[in-house]
Amino acid sequence: MNEQLQEIFKESFGLESLEDSMSIETVEGWDSMAHVGLMMALQQHFGVVITPAQAIELTDVASIKIFLKQQGKG
Amino acid sequence: MSIEEIIARARHSGSWLAHRQAAGELRVLFSQGKASCRSRARIAFLSSFTIEPLVDYIMVEAAGEGIALETYTADYGQFNQEVLDPASRLYQHNPEITVLAVEYESIAGAGANLITPVAEKTIIHHLISLAEAFKKNNTGILIVNTFINMPRWPLHILSDDSVPMIRQINQKILQIFAEDAQIQVCDLDELAAYYGYSRAMSAEMLHMARIPFSEGFLSLSSRKLISYLRAHLGLIRKCLVLDCDNTLWGGIIGEDGMDGIQLGPDTPGREYLDFQKTILELFGQGVILAINSKNNYDDVMKVIREHPHMLLREQHFAGMQINWDPKPVNMKRLAEEINIGLDSFVFVDDSPAEREMMRQMLPEVLTLEMSANPSLYSGTLRETNVFARAYLTEEDRQRGQIYAAQRQRTELQESVSSLEEFLTSLEMVVSIRLAKDSDIKRAAQLTQRTNQFNLTTRRYTETDISSMLTDDGWRIYVLSLKDKFGDNGTVGLAIIECKEDTWRIDTFLMSCRVIGRQVEDAFVNYILSEAKNCGVRQVKSEYIPTKKNKLVADFWERMNFELKAGDEKTSRRIFGISEFIPVEFTYLVFENSDRNIKD
Repeated sequence: MNEQLQEIFKESFGLESLEDSMSIETVEGWDSMAHVGLMMALQQHFGVVITPAQAIELTDVASIKIFLKQQGKG
Repeated sequence: MSIEEIIARARHSGSWLAHRQAAGELRVLFSQGKASCRSRARIAFLSSFTIEPLVDYIMVEAAGEGIALETYTADYGQFNQEVLDPASRLYQHNPEITVLAVEYESIAGAGANLITPVAEKTIIHHLISLAEAFKKNNTGILIVNTFINMPRWPLHILSDDSVPMIRQINQKILQIFAEDAQIQVCDLDELAAYYGYSRAMSAEMLHMARIPFSEGFLSLSSRKLISYLRAHLGLIRKCLVLDCDNTLWGGIIGEDGMDGIQLGPDTPGREYLDFQKTILELFGQGVILAINSKNNYDDVMKVIREHPHMLLREQHFAGMQINWDPKPVNMKRLAEEINIGLDSFVFVDDSPAEREMMRQMLPEVLTLEMSANPSLYSGTLRETNVFARAYLTEEDRQRGQIYAAQRQRTELQESVSSLEEFLTSLEMVVSIRLAKDSDIKRAAQLTQRTNQFNLTTRRYTETDISSMLTDDGWRIYVLSLKDKFGDNGTVGLAIIECKEDTWRIDTFLMSCRVIGRQVEDAFVNYILSEAKNCGVRQVKSEYIPTKKNKLVADFWERMNFELKAGDEKTSRRIFGISEFIPVEFTYLVFENSDRNIKD
């Protein structure tokens, strides 16, 4: 999972490495608009469903990892 | 990272997020002046929903076409204010192209009852008033989109009442702006239908971020909008160059013979017939056709002349290179023969090796990626946007024929012994007159597309031309030419700024296909005689060098315009009317050249 996630972040924000503390507050380019794209990308890559209510919560790498584990993708 | 790498990465992913990232990087490169693009354009977006994703896709697609975009995106829902306020940021951006993409609810009002004639009137009336306000404040093009008319209950038996209503509104939108040069309608509904409504629209994106479209449809609609941009910037490709074996017919003529190749109404063979039909449609839209084939000339010509099911015949081709030389070599010959640039060519060949060679040797040529299945050839051609025109003039419709006739002229030229004999045998009839309203489109088009025989290469829009026509300080002359092979249409243009005793030739250009026939000399002579009739003392001319117009570097000198001391660098010249002697042109017949003074 980590590798795929890293690939998505690299493609989307040009990040070479991924840390759990990274969030919508700290990553350049990860704004509310890009967030929607990120949610779409997660759904496509991992085959998960993210509802609008969940999307609001998934604003840092740690939360995304926990969410994906819960969905059985970890 | 280079522009090419940025674009390739976004296209590889296809996702909006990757396009968003790429668009951001491109903006940085463009603003720092680190990337060179062949064109620039300012574009603005007004919408009732989140349109940023579409802007991201367009940014990347445009860069792929060599166009650096400066974009302005109004906050969503602000489209009325932006259009109506003359001091808005929209008008400060001064866009050449503005895209208006709104949902019908945003105009009719949320929850509005759409099933009344009142709704139709309200919406149409609103769009017209927006268009009028826009035209007062901006000279660029406004693209108005039709409303997407997705059926709400696709499997129900009774149709949803809103569907016929919106269909009617869309028809109305297409009608009311049809004749307006500044407002162009993009039939977004048609595009969504083509793509499939249920694939085009995304409820997920809509609910999360007020983006109604799926990523696939964002990509497709961005390519549609690029068509408008291309047409506006004059970046349309002109000529389709075709291979023969396994492209126009199945099999190899040199081995299978006339009876062995597959072409006709039966299977196999109908897929090639279908492809030829598609090519003929393009020909009807003014696309020039040519052949580039590794074959014995006589074998191919026999098929073109005698095969009962060939749709494409000799009169459709402006150039035919059929021999055993490498195809890039033949491509250069075609460019010379037809007299257009390599960057006007689109190449179609079934062989991946030939395609690869063309891409490597001549990257300016657009080599289409073709399916291994000939049934899909037509579809590939139909999904290109490189031939897309914003309108068709009479010259456009006939262009294919005009160029094919040119090939026959060249053959005649080779068969006669002297230039004089050739020019006489052409039986040319020239008409020169002041431009009228009906010439506006063609005149603008000539300024935008003519590169080689163009003394100043000033590009004008239809709005520019139109305002010069109504301004007493300007004169626009158009020249048309007929000969025994057909009507060449309007092929010459001169735009002159007229002051009391001085005329300044702002623009002087000729379509390349008619130069070298003394027509340009006659055109200058005509203008000078007009100047004399108007009591003008001197006529000023100018040559602005570009990469493509070396052909005319000494034109004004040849026409006896004199260089004034100190003007060597600017290449400005002057002709004193007292020196004017009318010239007789023995090979030209003049017809309806009106010498009326402009009132």
